[in-house]
Amino acid sequence: MAIQTILVIEDDRFIGEMYVRSLKKAGYDVDWMIDGNDGLIAARNKAYDLLLLDVMLPERRGSDILEALRGGSEDLIPHSKVLVLTNFEQDDESRLAMEKRADGYLIKAEITPSKLLAVIKQLDSQQ
Amino acid sequence: MAVKAPKLAKDFWGHFNRGVAWLIIGLQIIILAALGIVLYVVGFFENNPLAVVATLLAQTILGVLASALLFRFVARPLKDMLAAIIHVSGEPTTSTPPNPNDTRFEKSGFKDVLQTIYQLASNEPAPADAPATLSEGSEPAVTPQATHSIIERALDNTTCGFVVMNHERVITFSNKAAPINIDQNGTSHLSLLFNGEDTLENWLTHCEETAVRAEHTWTRIPNKLPEEEGRRFFDVIASYDKGAESEVVLTMIDRTEQYAVGEQELDFIAFAAHELRGPITVIRGYLDVLQDELSDVLRDDQHELFRRLTVSANRLSGYINNILNTSRYDRRHLKMHLTETSLSDIYDTIKDDMDLRASAQGRLLSVTIPSDLPHIAADPASLGEVMGNLIDNAIKYSNEGGAITVTASMKGELVEFSVEDHGIGMPGNVVSNLFQKFYRSHRSRETVAGTGIGLYISKAIVESHGGTISVRSEEGRGSTFIVSLPTYQAVAEKLKAGDNSNEALIEQGSGWIKNHSMYRG
Repeated sequence: MAIQTILVIEDDRFIGEMYVRSLKKAGYDVDWMIDGNDGLIAARNKAYDLLLLDVMLPERRGSDILEALRGGSEDLIPHSKVLVLTNFEQDDESRLAMEKRADGYLIKAEITPSKLLAVIKQLDSQQ
Repeated sequence: MAVKAPKLAKDFWGHFNRGVAWLIIGLQIIILAALGIVLYVVGFFENNPLAVVATLLAQTILGVLASALLFRFVARPLKDMLAAIIHVSGEPTTSTPPNPNDTRFEKSGFKDVLQTIYQLASNEPAPADAPATLSEGSEPAVTPQATHSIIERALDNTTCGFVVMNHERVITFSNKAAPINIDQNGTSHLSLLFNGEDTLENWLTHCEETAVRAEHTWTRIPNKLPEEEGRRFFDVIASYDKGAESEVVLTMIDRTEQYAVGEQELDFIAFAAHELRGPITVIRGYLDVLQDELSDVLRDDQHELFRRLTVSANRLSGYINNILNTSRYDRRHLKMHLTETSLSDIYDTIKDDMDLRASAQGRLLSVTIPSDLPHIAADPASLGEVMGNLIDNAIKYSNEGGAITVTASMKGELVEFSVEDHGIGMPGNVVSNLFQKFYRSHRSRETVAGTGIGLYISKAIVESHGGTISVRSEEGRGSTFIVSLPTYQAVAEKLKAGDNSNEALIEQGSGWIKNHSMYRG
C-alpha cells in the first residue's frame, strides 16, 4: 500500500504551507491541522497513511500526540507512519522516546520539501 | 569530693526543675510576707481583714502559676537543647530526640542550634566514658586536641566540602561546606544526586572488590533536584584507601556559579535553536519550492542567482549547527547517537549541498568514497557536519578553479576519510593551534571570514566517535585533513567488553548503540 493520504500537524503557517504545497504538487492527498488537539482528533478519525508531526504545538505537544496514539498497549494508528519534524532541541530522553514511537525523526531546517519527498518515497519502499 | 552535681546529663532537668520550683515558691512567700507586713503597718487589716487575707492568698497562688508558666516558656529551648545533648551523648533515654526539621524549630530559627549540636557530635570523637559509636575499633587519635581543632577550624573556613568516611561508609567527619544532611539520629548523610549508574556507592562497591587505592572524579553533581531551593553543583573528588581509618575522603568543590549559568544557557540554546532554525527552514524550503516551480521560466543567469541563494542559506544552516553543537559541547551536552552506517551513506546526505557549494564557488570537487568500506558507528548528522566543515574549509582556503579531493580508505584497523585542497596551506605554527576554539591564523583573519569554531567542533565530534582528526599542510601548496574512525565492529566489541556501565545496549543492524559517553574524557 503506497502512501497516499498525509496529515500535516504544523502550527507555523509558512512551514505548513510549504510542505502542503509541495506534497499536493507531488500528488498526495493532504490535510493540515494547526493545533495539537485538532491534529490528534484528525489522526484518530481518519486512517492516514502518513503523519507529519511537529513537536512545539499549541494546545497539545507533538510528543503528547504521539504518546496518545502509540503510547498505550494498543497502537491506535496501526496503518499510519509517523515522521516527527521539529526544529526544537528536545532533551535526550524525550527525543529517544519519540524516536522509538515514530518512523523517522528529522530536523526541519535540514529537510527541504524535495528532501521530504525523498524521505517519504523511502518510507514507501520500506513497506 | 562531694558529688552533688548530677551524674548524667538527663538527671539535670529534674534537679533543675526542683530548684526552680523551690525558688518560685520561696520568692512568692517572701513577697507575701513583705506585703503582709506593709499592709499591717499601714492598718489595712482593721476594716476588712478577711478580704485582705483572701486577696493576698489569691495573689500568691496566681503568682506561682504565672511564674511556672513563664518558666516553661523561657526554658523550652534549654529543654530541647538538653534533649539533643542527652541524645548525642548516647545516654539511655526513652524520649525521642528533637527533630531539627520540625516546623516549630524552623520557625524560631532553633533548627540551626540543633543541627550544630548534632554536627558537633558527629564530628568530635566521642568522649571516653560514653560508648563510642563512631571511632569504633580504632585507637584514640594521638594527635593533640589542639592541632585537631586548628585543622577543623581551617577546614570549616574553606568553601571546599570535605567528608571522611570509615570502612562502613559512615561519615566520621564533615566540614561546614560539605553538602550534608543530619537526621534526627545525628547521623550524617551526603546529599548528592549522582547521575545514573555512576554513583559514589557503586564506585565504592567496585573499589572494595578490586582496588587498594583508587581515585575518582565526578563533575556537575547537584545536591538537590531541579527547581528545588538552594540547589548547588559540586565537582566531587573521591579517594579510596583500603583499610585506612579514613578509608574514603571526599573533596567537593562548589561550582554552582559556573554550572548554574550553564543550565540556563542550555535552556536558552534549546529555544534559540528553534528560533534560528525556523526562518532557515522557510528560506531553504521556499527556495527549493520556487526553484522547482520556476525552472522553466528562469534564464540561466537567474538560475545561478538562485543557486547562490541556496548555497548561502545552506551555509548559514551549517553555521547555526556549528554554534549549537559548540555550545552543547562546552556544557558537556553534546551527545552522539551512534548507529551502524557507512561513510558513503553519510556523504550521500550532504552530497547535493556540497556539489552545489563547490560549483557555485568555482571549485572542482571530486569525491571517491568506496561503498564497500567497513561500516562505522556514527551519528550520521554530526559526522555529516564534520565532512561539510572540512569541505567548506577546503573551498574557503583554496583558489577559484582549485581541485578538492575527497577520498576514503581502510588504514589498518581504521576507516580513514580525507579532504585535500591545493590552496594557500599553513605554516607549522598555525597547524599546531588549528583545533583550538576561536583560533584563526593571523593571515586568515585578514583575508577570509570565519569564527574559528568549525574545526574545534569537528574535532570534538570526531573524538566523541572514538576517532582522531589530523592535518598535513604545506604553506602555499595546500592542506589535507584526515579523519580516522574505528569500524562499527570494533566499537561494538569494545562496548560489549566494557564494564557494566555500558550495559551492553547494542543492537546489531539498524539499532542504536545507546552509549553517549564512551569516548568522552
